[in-house]
This record gives sequence, C-alpha cells and structure tokens, in this order.
Amino acid sequence: MKTTEAALPAFVDLVGEKWVRDATAADAVAGVQPALVVAPEDEDGVAAVLRLATRDGLAVVVRGGGTKLDWGRPPRRCDVVLSTERLTALVEHEPADLICVVQAGMQLATLQRRLLATAGHRQQLMLDPPPPGPQTVGGVLACNAAGGRRTRYGTPRDLVIGARFVLADGTIAHSGGKVVKNVAGYDIARLLCGSLGTLAVITQAAFRLHPVPQAERTVVAENVSATRLAELGDALRTAPVVIGAADVLWPDGLLAVRVEGTEESADAQAATLAAQLGGRVLDESDARLLQKSMRHAPWQGDGTIVGVGVPRSRIRQLLDICSDFAASAVIRPCVGTAQALVPTDSDVVIRFRAAVTGVGGHLTVHRGGGAIGDAAFGDADETAVELMRAVTSRFDPTATLSPGRHLGSV
Amino acid sequence: MERAVVDRLIAAVGAGAVLTEPAALRAYECDGLTGYRVIPAAVVLPSSTEEVAAVVQACHRAGVPFVARGAGTGLSGGALPVAEGIVISLARMRTILDVDIAAERVTVQPGVSNLAVSDAVASWGYFYAPDPSSQAVCSIGGNVAENSGGAHCLKYGFTLHHVCGVTLVTADGRIARIGGKAPDAPGLDLCAAIVGSEGTLGIVTEVVLRIVPRPQAVLTMLAAFDSMAAAGSAVSEIIAAGIVPAAVEMMDRLTREAAEAAVGAGYPDCEALLLVEVDGPQLETGAVGAAVDSICRGCGATEIRSTEDSSERAAMWRGRRSAFAAMGRVSPSYYVQDGVIPRTRLADVLDGIQLLENEYGLRVGNVFHAGDGNLHPLVLYDAAIQGESTRALELAGRILDVCLASGGSITGEHGVGVDKACQMPKMFSEGALEVMARLRAAFDPSGLCNPGKVLPTPRLCGEVPGVYRAHPLERAGLAERM
Repeated sequence: MKTTEAALPAFVDLVGEKWVRDATAADAVAGVQPALVVAPEDEDGVAAVLRLATRDGLAVVVRGGGTKLDWGRPPRRCDVVLSTERLTALVEHEPADLICVVQAGMQLATLQRRLLATAGHRQQLMLDPPPPGPQTVGGVLACNAAGGRRTRYGTPRDLVIGARFVLADGTIAHSGGKVVKNVAGYDIARLLCGSLGTLAVITQAAFRLHPVPQAERTVVAENVSATRLAELGDALRTAPVVIGAADVLWPDGLLAVRVEGTEESADAQAATLAAQLGGRVLDESDARLLQKSMRHAPWQGDGTIVGVGVPRSRIRQLLDICSDFAASAVIRPCVGTAQALVPTDSDVVIRFRAAVTGVGGHLTVHRGGGAIGDAAFGDADETAVELMRAVTSRFDPTATLSPGRHLGSV
Repeated sequence: MERAVVDRLIAAVGAGAVLTEPAALRAYECDGLTGYRVIPAAVVLPSSTEEVAAVVQACHRAGVPFVARGAGTGLSGGALPVAEGIVISLARMRTILDVDIAAERVTVQPGVSNLAVSDAVASWGYFYAPDPSSQAVCSIGGNVAENSGGAHCLKYGFTLHHVCGVTLVTADGRIARIGGKAPDAPGLDLCAAIVGSEGTLGIVTEVVLRIVPRPQAVLTMLAAFDSMAAAGSAVSEIIAAGIVPAAVEMMDRLTREAAEAAVGAGYPDCEALLLVEVDGPQLETGAVGAAVDSICRGCGATEIRSTEDSSERAAMWRGRRSAFAAMGRVSPSYYVQDGVIPRTRLADVLDGIQLLENEYGLRVGNVFHAGDGNLHPLVLYDAAIQGESTRALELAGRILDVCLASGGSITGEHGVGVDKACQMPKMFSEGALEVMARLRAAFDPSGLCNPGKVLPTPRLCGEVPGVYRAHPLERAGLAERM
C-alpha cells in the first residue's frame, strides 16, 4: 500500500492540480479523516481515480453534497474523498416521455428547477428527501433517501430507471436505460439505491418523472392523540382521495395530509377529508410553510436521527415507542416509517431498535453514525447478510469503497 | 441422472413428488417460448420452503443444475430445462399464507396465481395491481422472476414496486429472509436484484406483496384515428397535459381487424385505435376523461366512445387482450416481439418497421402499450413455406435493433431468458455484462441456478432456435402472448 501523499502526484496527473486538495477537518466522514479530496471531471476520470486508489490500496468515500455522509456506520478507513461536484450536467429531459437523465453530482434542487424550466411542462422528480442542504442526485440514490412524497410516489429505487456507475477497479458499466419499462439484465441501478456508496460510484442516473399535480390541498388535524392518529391513519387507507403525502409530527400530535388532483377535485377531496379527520383545509401559503417545517423536522435539533420502518398497521405502537425514546419525530402513517431525533447514545439506539423490532420493524441510523458506531445496524437474517457480503465482495473485492459502512460490508 | 441423486431427491420430497418417467418429463420440456425444448432429467414438486432447500442442497452437492418453474407461461424460455438438470416446479406451493389488510400486505407461496391474490383481497376493496394478460394462470413466483408488468403498470408500477419481501432458497440451499411487511429493511436492497432476475439468483419460496385499494371510479375510452402517428401524438399530448392514465393501449389496422374477426369486439373501423383508461376518485376521472376526450379530438380522432360500466369496459378490453391470439385469423404463424421505445419515437420506429416489412416481404402488426413505450410487433409468416420462419425470426431480431437505435430496450416484459441472451451485447457493454456476471456469481458461485439464461454464453449464442409452436395454454385460450 502506498501512502496517500505518495499517490498525490498521480491524482494530480489524472484530474489536474485544481481538483486535488488536502482534506480538512470539514471533510471528515463520520469522524474518519481523509487525506485528499479529488474531483474528477467525468466518468472516465472517476474510473481512473478509482483504479489508482485500488492499485495503491487507498480507501475511497464518494461524496455528493455531503449531507448524508454519516448514514450507516463510519467507514473503517477513508483516505480519499471522491467528490462528484463536477458531474453536474442535465443530460436529457424528454417531457413527453416523462424521463430525465442527469449526472450524479447535480443537486436535487437544481434538477427540480431545471425540470420546471422546460416550457410547456410542469414535471418533477417526485422526491423530497431529508435533510435540508445541497443534496445531490447521486447521494439521494446511494442513501435511498425519501420524504413525504414517498406516500404516493415511492422512494428513489421506485423512480430510477437506469444508471451508469463505476466499480472500484475502474470498470464502467450501466444497467437499465431511459425507458420506464425495461427488463433486460439485472437491475443493478436499483441495487445501488441505499447501498451507501459501498458497491460502486454512481455517475449518472435516469429517472421516471411525474407531472406536478394541477392542484394540491393540505388538510391538518391538530392535538390529536396517539389512539386517534392510529385510527385516522387506518382510515386513510380507503379514503376516496388521492394522497400525495401524509405526515404526523410527534409528539405534537399534528397530522397533515396533502391531496392532489384537478382544482375542482382537490377542493372536493380536501373537504371530504377535513370532515373525516375533524380537521381544516389550509390556505396555500400556510400549507407551504407547514410542508417546509415538516420536511426539516426533526433534523433541526441536535442529536442522532434514526430511520424506522414498521408495518403500517403498527402506527399506534410506533407512536408510543417514539414517545419513549425520541425528542421529536416525523411519522408517515400511510407508509409505516418514521424519522426520529434521539440522544446521541448507542444504548438509546439499541433499546429503541429492540422496541421497534418487537412490532415487526427495524431501525437504522441516518445521522450521527460516527458516534453510534456498530450500533448503527442491529441483527439481521444471517443468510441475507451473507448474500449482501458476497455481493459487496464481488463488486469491490479490495474493500476500496466506504469499507465497513454498510450492513454486511467488510 | 445418477440413481443416488434421485434417491436424495426422493428423500427430500417423497417419491410422489419426483418425476422421472419420460412421458411425465415431456410436459416440462418448454415454457411459453415453445421454439426451445429440452427434456430434463427429473422434475421435483416440493411443497414447502424446507423441501425446496433440501432439493437444492442435493443438487448443489451433486453438481446438478436446476431450473425453477411456475406456471410455465413465460415467453423468453426462462423456465427452459437444462439437459441432465432438474426442474423444480413450484406448482404445489399455492397457499396464500397471510392476508393483512391493515398493513396492505399479502404473503403467498410462489405457485399462487396472480389473479388469486386480487381475488383474496377483493372483498376488502383491494387488488394486486400488476396484471399481465396471463394473470388467470401465471404464478406470482414467475411474476417475481420476470418483473412482470401489465396494461396498468404505467400508473401502478411493475412487480418490483409491489414486492416488499421474499424468502429465497439460495443456490446452495440455504434459506434467506429478505425484506418483509415493514419498509426500509437495513442493508442492501437484495429484493431489487432478485425481482426480474429470471430465476438465476435462487428460488423464491415466499413473497410479501403490496396490495392497493380499488379506485373509486374507472373510465375507459376508445378513440379512432386515421394514422398511428396521429394516435401517437394524442398520447404525447395526454402526457404533456400532466395526465397519467391507468392504461394507454394502441392497435394498428392489422391487429385490430384480426381482433375484430376473432372476438367481434365492435371496434370502430380505423387505422389506429387508442384505448385509454383513467381511474381514481369520481370527480377526478370525470375531469380527466373530459381532458383526454378533447385532446383526442384535437389530434383528429374520428370517433370516441367512453364508458364507466364494468361490462362495457370488459368488452372494450376483450379485443385488445385477444389481439395476439387473433393473429391466427390472418396468418398461419406469427412471432411476438417485445421491445421498448421512447414513446416519442413511435412514428420513426414504425417507419423503420415498415422498411423491414418491405425488405423481408412479411407483414408486421403492431400492438403498443403506448403509455410506457412497450411495443409488440407481431411478425406474420407461414411456417409451411421453406425458410420463412427463419426470415421471420431474423426480421423480429432486426426490429430490436430499431428499438435500440431509438434509445429503447430489447425487452419490456417478456424477459431475456434464452431467447434474447445473445442480444444482450447489443444493449450492454462488456463491462456492464461482466458486472452482471459478478452479481450472479455472488448469489450462485457454482453456476447451477438456471444456467444459460439472461447472460450470453458462447455455447448458447452459436445455436439457432426452432420454429414457434402454440403453447398448450395458448391453444386452450387460457393465455395470450402479450
């Protein structure tokens, strides 16, 4: 193994002096200090950087906007941060096909703006993931991060239709394509969703887009008890409305449900729903404010953020568990997920997880992984983890990419 | 096959669940892609996850390749047996294990039919959304293997959007539980790799499915156009207007006339027929239906019919669903191609297909899932004419080149199987195929699990397939090639 310093001139040769710099404390990944930050210009540059790092035995963590670097466990090693900051092109937006192709380093917010700028169409990539910040398309994919919109539109893995990526040894590959319906070959693009950068560096992705609904209305019910929230969450299953998002702010007891449709239908849906929930319809500006604060809660407080998933039938239990462990939480009653703010204490994480596991769920760490360490993941099916380990070691046999960061990553 | 291996299989599942008689084996020699036939050494019919695991362990120990099989309706040879290998039929694993309406999840064994899932939850107002046209007979296990779609997947998504977890018997016979009723299971999303892997990453023995509430209202419309291009631009304008219909289907004159002759669908006489379905809350479908109507008229629709009545809807769909089988009315033989194109390139692609028709002197009918760009060209030929079936297959292959040149894919729903493994290099670089091979090797390092499918091999790609023959299910009218 070469030292990172010794490899520096070679990195400079590959990407140019301007795009290699010494890492500072701000570049640390979940507390692990890298030596260099390297920003290749394009996919071939990514491949060259990875080949070099692999040859020299250097560990690489890929970074987009740096907003989710401490999801999962801290990497065992990190010598080089590979930044996707120069991969920012919108390669294609074909509105009539409802698809776009974008490089991994483009910020999600920029992509959404660019999509809206296409004249005559109002389309979006229907993702609103946390946390607030300069998240990139590649980072959102690698973390499979999703916000309230997942209630109707799903998570990144549901919306990605193809990807280009580079393995640690420099192999450039793609899977899928730019058509929505496609079953040719293994769906590696979706496998990369949520892989926390342990399998490959995503350089480009194609997405299915959706039209922005003509109208949205938000219905809120306030000061609702856990029992009543669970009842309402269950009633939403069959409510005759198109639910774009449904969020509970806890322990506040605030339920906000967004309905989508034509102007006329959205009004009627909202009225129906307000009666059913015993709530009221917000005006547009209040709805926007609430949407924003919901999206940022609970990320505003200090501490560790955990992601929880339970069967949607166990919302009542989930609320109680959140009351026991979390300072605040956003719960998605129609999906069965929560993002909860807890003290940075691995013991709390372990007890929280035990409670969630008791109702058929699971828990992972979304912020504060550096301090939580191994407790970021709990026990999982042993054979499934062996398969994960086998996939990881076939893709990255030298353990170059974010080693140790994921469940089953060695 | 060695007697010792057969004995081990019998020990695993009992003598009544192991077939070795040639006559019995013949029933398993092919799936819906009947041009390829291989007789397996044995067929095993396990009844539980544990039995599947025991059978796979026996295969693994003896180095015997195995192929999982559901209902056998696949159209790419995904369930084609391997000579000297065994077929593991999941037909006896047809129990619905759990219906959990409050969690919107149903857990089933792989032999359960697609339609049985919808039937099991219908009384609660729910259904299972992916609806391949063979849904009455095709199995959930097969749907998982092929990532099956259906006419309504534009709005509701594919099998991959509806599988929340699986129990997988690995290629060496271990049992892995992956995902489940709760979302966001930690670790790599192995389900994403398994769904659509065509039975090459292990054998799925339990599936946790997501079910969805039935829409309050469904509006089905038929619109007649003077050209495919006009119908295509109507589809583009519908999408541009921000409407995502539940389904959009298009038929050209040839396929429409065949459907008319076969089932008397009563379709209007036209060059291109568009079938559009919108669903959702009553208020929503009314407004959206009116918008679709005016867009179609603006694009030159010569006639528009619409209905909210379920029996009238069934009648409108009948012709479309029978389109493939109906080709028998206008041609002695036909080959169904399955390609995908960006919807906006339809006119160019149809021109390209027209050129090929002229070059080969064969007719091609086109049925199009217009919403998602999945094109099914039907190449008509007469197998009795020397060399025509070979030319038809060649023409069908060249249509895929046209699809790829437009930015599309070699398969939208039938899968790669053996049929298109040799076409994979047209779509994927050597590097991409090598990465896919790594994924496969991670799950199956011994290469015993459905070998010869999906990825090209030198041996496979030197062979020429046989002539198409109607599948027994197809002849019986139980399944259609779509």
